[in-house]
Amino acid sequence: MHAARNIALCTKDCLCLFVCPTGATDTENGQIDFSRCLDGCRLCVDACPSHALYLVFDRYPVKPQKDAVVASALDNLLESKVKQELIGTALAQGENGGAKLAKAIAHSNRVLAEDCAREARYILPQGSETRKLLTELLGRRGDPGFPVDAVEQLLELLQ
Amino acid sequence: MEYKEPHTNGALAAICTNLSKACDKQMRPTEAGLFDKLASYFSQSAGVAGPVSINDLDANIAADTESGYIAVESRAQQVGDRGALRCVTWGKKVTAIHKSVLVRYAKQGDALMEGSNLYVCEACGFIAIAKEVPGLCPICKAPASRFTKI
Ligand code: SF4
Ligand code: SF4
Repeated sequence: MHAARNIALCTKDCLCLFVCPTGATDTENGQIDFSRCLDGCRLCVDACPSHALYLVFDRYPVKPQKDAVVASALDNLLESKVKQELIGTALAQGENGGAKLAKAIAHSNRVLAEDCAREARYILPQGSETRKLLTELLGRRGDPGFPVDAVEQLLELLQ
Repeated sequence: MEYKEPHTNGALAAICTNLSKACDKQMRPTEAGLFDKLASYFSQSAGVAGPVSINDLDANIAADTESGYIAVESRAQQVGDRGALRCVTWGKKVTAIHKSVLVRYAKQGDALMEGSNLYVCEACGFIAIAKEVPGLCPICKAPASRFTKI
């Protein structure tokens, strides 16, 4: 487990700098140095007056599988939302007055689609279902323009 | 290796932007960037919908309302999947908003938006047609900072 800092909330009180036993809180980019953070120490998390620090697992425990029926019903809903997003995007390119409304509808449908994806099973980047999808995507190696290197890096970084 | 994931390119784009946001929340900008790269590939591959009219949305909205959400909800209740139920609770309301906005647009045309801005809630997708950004999302209670102006 390591600490992570939400920089938008950090008020630079710097308590974390002075309680951290390893100096992991003191970095040039404002983020915790995950590699130096002591597993589960949480001194900085408790010290921060701004709730800017929290703990994240390095390796996620295996989560119970989603029910297959819920997942496939959400997959169908995801496809429907994406279809509506694409319709909205196509209409947003027109010159007609509804273009802006179409853009809002496309944007809203993307938010809905992401929520379906999350609840269908892709909530944690480290989750087994995400890994399974990434592994399947390796099969697209060689498709013109497919960034297979991104897939490979993700499989390595997310465990 | 053969691939057989059950999603279209458009859906894969949404899956990847969702995972990018998840990485951002875990303060993993490198991974977020990699998912964004995949998302833009899939968005491009999804292409542009053929000749469409605003009425084409109606059929999908009706299907979601009459069967899509019900299928998720009934099974999620059986198995106690509260996350999926939350998604249904918000999604059904947002879909109803889409429908009512489209009905009003069909009646009023561009006058519907006159003097107003369009805002979308990043948490649930709620669309507001208003002069000012909503102080609180009426559907998911997200604060004003979670709205994007279109
Ligand atoms: S203690 Fe909290 S507010 Fe202070 S510098 Fe550290 S993260 Fe920022
Ligand atoms: S959890 Fe402990 S070791 Fe890790 S950054 Fe915070 S104070 Fe330092």
